[in-house]
Amino acid sequence: MKRFSLFFALCSPLLAADPAESDFYKITTFETPKETAMEVGSIDLLPDGRLIMGTRRGEIWTVSGAGSSDPSAVSYKLYASGLHEVLGIAYNPKDKNIYATTRYEVTRLQDVDGDGRADVFDNVSDAWGVSGDYHEYAIGSRFDKVGDLWVTLCLTGSFSSVTPFRGWALRIKPDGTMVPTCSGIRSPGGLGFDADGEVYYADNQGPWHGSCTLQHLVPGSFQGHPGGNEWYALAPNMGPRPIDPSPENYQGDNKRREAREGGDPGRMVKERERIKQLLPPAVYLVHGKIGNSASAIICDTSAGKFGPFMNQLFIADQSHSNLSRVFLETVNGIKQGVVFPFRLGFASGLIGGRMDGEGRIFTGGSDRGWGARGGKPFCFEKCEWTGKTPFEVHEMRAKPDGFELTFTQPIDAKTAGDLKSYSMREFTYAYREAYGGDEIDEILPTITAVEVGADGQSVRLKISPLTKGHIHELHFEGVKNTAGHPLLHTVGYYTLNEIPAK
Amino acid sequence: MRFLLLFLLAATALSLNAADKAQSAAADLGLVKVIMLKTMTAQMKYDENEIIVRPAEKVKIVFENGDDLPHNLVFCQPGTDTMTMAMKQMEKPEEAIKRNWLPDDKSIWLHSKMLNPHEKEELIFIAPEKPGDYPYVCTFPGHALTMNGQLKVVPMGQGLKDLKFALYLGNWTKLPEFAKLKPHREGVVPNNLIDIQLDDYKNEFGVVFTGKIDAPRKGKYQFYISGDDGVRLLIDGKKVVEYDGIHPSGSIKQEAVQLEKGEHELRYEYFQGGGQIAVFAAWKGPGFDMTALSAWQPKGWEKGGKSKKKEDFAPIPIMVGAEPVIYRNFIQGAGNRAIGVGYPGGINIAWSAESMNLALLWKGAFIDASLHWNSRGGGYQSPLGYDVLKPTGEVTPAFSTAEKPDAAWPVWDKTKRYEGFAWKGYTLDAKRSPTFRYTWQGAEIEESFSATGNGNKPGGNPTLIRSIKITGSLPANAWYRLGAGAFEKKEGRFVAKDRLPYSIIAEGAQMAGQNLVIPAKVGMLTITYQWAQ
Repeated sequence: MKRFSLFFALCSPLLAADPAESDFYKITTFETPKETAMEVGSIDLLPDGRLIMGTRRGEIWTVSGAGSSDPSAVSYKLYASGLHEVLGIAYNPKDKNIYATTRYEVTRLQDVDGDGRADVFDNVSDAWGVSGDYHEYAIGSRFDKVGDLWVTLCLTGSFSSVTPFRGWALRIKPDGTMVPTCSGIRSPGGLGFDADGEVYYADNQGPWHGSCTLQHLVPGSFQGHPGGNEWYALAPNMGPRPIDPSPENYQGDNKRREAREGGDPGRMVKERERIKQLLPPAVYLVHGKIGNSASAIICDTSAGKFGPFMNQLFIADQSHSNLSRVFLETVNGIKQGVVFPFRLGFASGLIGGRMDGEGRIFTGGSDRGWGARGGKPFCFEKCEWTGKTPFEVHEMRAKPDGFELTFTQPIDAKTAGDLKSYSMREFTYAYREAYGGDEIDEILPTITAVEVGADGQSVRLKISPLTKGHIHELHFEGVKNTAGHPLLHTVGYYTLNEIPAK
Repeated sequence: MRFLLLFLLAATALSLNAADKAQSAAADLGLVKVIMLKTMTAQMKYDENEIIVRPAEKVKIVFENGDDLPHNLVFCQPGTDTMTMAMKQMEKPEEAIKRNWLPDDKSIWLHSKMLNPHEKEELIFIAPEKPGDYPYVCTFPGHALTMNGQLKVVPMGQGLKDLKFALYLGNWTKLPEFAKLKPHREGVVPNNLIDIQLDDYKNEFGVVFTGKIDAPRKGKYQFYISGDDGVRLLIDGKKVVEYDGIHPSGSIKQEAVQLEKGEHELRYEYFQGGGQIAVFAAWKGPGFDMTALSAWQPKGWEKGGKSKKKEDFAPIPIMVGAEPVIYRNFIQGAGNRAIGVGYPGGINIAWSAESMNLALLWKGAFIDASLHWNSRGGGYQSPLGYDVLKPTGEVTPAFSTAEKPDAAWPVWDKTKRYEGFAWKGYTLDAKRSPTFRYTWQGAEIEESFSATGNGNKPGGNPTLIRSIKITGSLPANAWYRLGAGAFEKKEGRFVAKDRLPYSIIAEGAQMAGQNLVIPAKVGMLTITYQWAQ
């Protein structure tokens, strides 16, 4: 025993120096009102600094004091109840009203008598079908840069769309007009904007999805799951129905999980050549590694108050109860980018999330229906930057012959310039109707060169080969900063939809 | 062997209707199965929601109230809606109090006193002869929803006879070839149930049971086994199902076999390595359900080896206080765009934003949210209260145009919306009571409800008054349907015939075939709904 205590005594200074996520980003768990289960489904900000939160139980709460450094300063007031799952909440700066996206309706709520509780519930749009199937969740956005609200509609179950616009993204104009906007959606988990106001949604692993994904909602695009494409008949603005993903490539008998022996399902990269409306996922949120159930999309618009990751996206996950970090770029007109692990350890499955102007991420959710690593049945939490900058890969950009990495801190030229500090693996997923899928078509490329940038905070890697359509999994265990510390996270997954020409 | 006496008892016919009879008949008999049942502190639950007994078995339940509230234990006949039974007492609360909240209901065949906190009572009785699920419940007001369970009367051992055992000694990790071994001891099993009752051996032995099993007719039979450790079941010398090796008794193995009508040789082999001792066997066949062949059964055995456990959620009743409460979700009978409203005083409605019409109204408790607030939240929830009225068809609009008002009304197609209708929303008044708004063709419609009387109280004369304001323009031949089905006109009211009696009052209403209608006109329309007294 004596030997052990000595061992710990010797080790503890070293252990203390080892960076942990919590050194840089702190999670605060709030107490919530006892009379309800605060299963946060959506969060937005009110102009006076309060939060407004919608829950899976159909309640809407206003929350004061959540930004305070004292978590007991938080207080709640029930704004509305009895709605059918509030998985989208938005404050509209134009008319100063609250908009809730629920199972079958976007509702505008007003508190006319000023008692802090809504008393007018207007149907803004209910222009989509609902069949009674549990799977038909409706996820709503905040207002976009032109004042529209976006709604993504889960399919009826994993495969089919039995009522109009299941499997679609819709835009609701300020006058309530509904515009069918994108097809091909399977099971959306969240909707959000990047710093430019472009709209993204997170889809979940399932048929036609080997993994959860972050997808760019470009109006007119087909997002990959053909289950809802019969509704092109009701969407003349979308043009003709896209051809279905290829039966030639897909040799299976098209039943669930029953690929025919010797058959070869399609690949997204091949199908893009045939199906002109098909837009590949901007980033694969690699299944089991980044998450299993992607949800909220939160952009860091705090201009540095959340640390060094300005304008990057943070993706929540219900199953893994975590946040991951995404850096995006546009190559040949298409969004693509990299996902890094960011912060584990939220108390329950995350569903809704929003950053305030002070760079605080408010998030929460519940574990019901799918289970979550967090362990609590529901939670409402805050994630804040501690002011200490983690040593991380800041950005990862595709180059014609490899990648360029930038770091959050000056790097040690010796380790950063050493080929042995890096390793890469490339893979993709089958683009097929069967549920989920393995990482396939693995390629182990050669890292032929590494060059440390003149700024002392970036490297250029030359990779042979780069593979269009593949996920490029880069490990950078060996890289140290000038203080000799390793990276906080040592892997990134870059989805290479396009290889840049220069 | 201790079950022998109970078989003799089974021959004694007992009236199950009279609780006292059941108890007194049991009082002078010796052997009993003892079951401990306790109420849990501050959880509004019994500690067991399932008690399994054999038909006509003599049972002693030691019932202890571990809670800080009064509770009783009331057993009813299979199929009794114990929730409704308990709630009905509210109709005559003065009488119910005199009976100490024991319902005056023929389906009750056994009950305890109303126990004060931390009191105890022993109930000794003969279990019903007829197999089935006999619900038990606490009938104190408000407890029945969660404080309930099932006394399961399950035939056990039926079909096995001439059961003998042979004990072998040895140290095995798999079932040995018993045929090649010499038994250490042999004997008969008088109660014909597979069971290990050895006082002298705890480890390293094996038992082979042999007997006859009587297949009531030709057909396919399922056999189920489990054990700690290895077990194997053979019929007519052929292996049917096996669960060999050293293991705990958790999982059940199941196989089917085709049997001719009549007696067959059953052989059940078991070995014990060390530790726990357990043997289980059961069968199921044409015309009869899961029947145990062993004295012991693992938890949930009636569901067999393969079936999944159905999720059962604790109720989350939505309470209605001084203000109306809204609950929008999938409500049985009110479709996918249902808006439930619980009004103070135990009167509730479900309005449909699909058909723009009142779909349901009911008395008593509002709704249980547990179906939607657990797991993924699917499924249609029925009202929690009682006397549910559905004046018109399921999710059917009130407005329609027809040359003649006896025409068929549009019916709900889940995949489509009703043409000509547009849902606008609702506004809560100062008392938080909603006014629903919608349009039909060129007309704008607003409707609100006021509830009078009390649906929770007997003689409370619960009444729902529906006020409909129609502005704008209506198409030609527009009709408003108030009711579907047979109604009889009596003293200015239309009384529903051939179903739960209630009446609808509306000036100018008329019967047209199976439709109770009123010509649709711009202006105000008032409809009164009243449950029969």
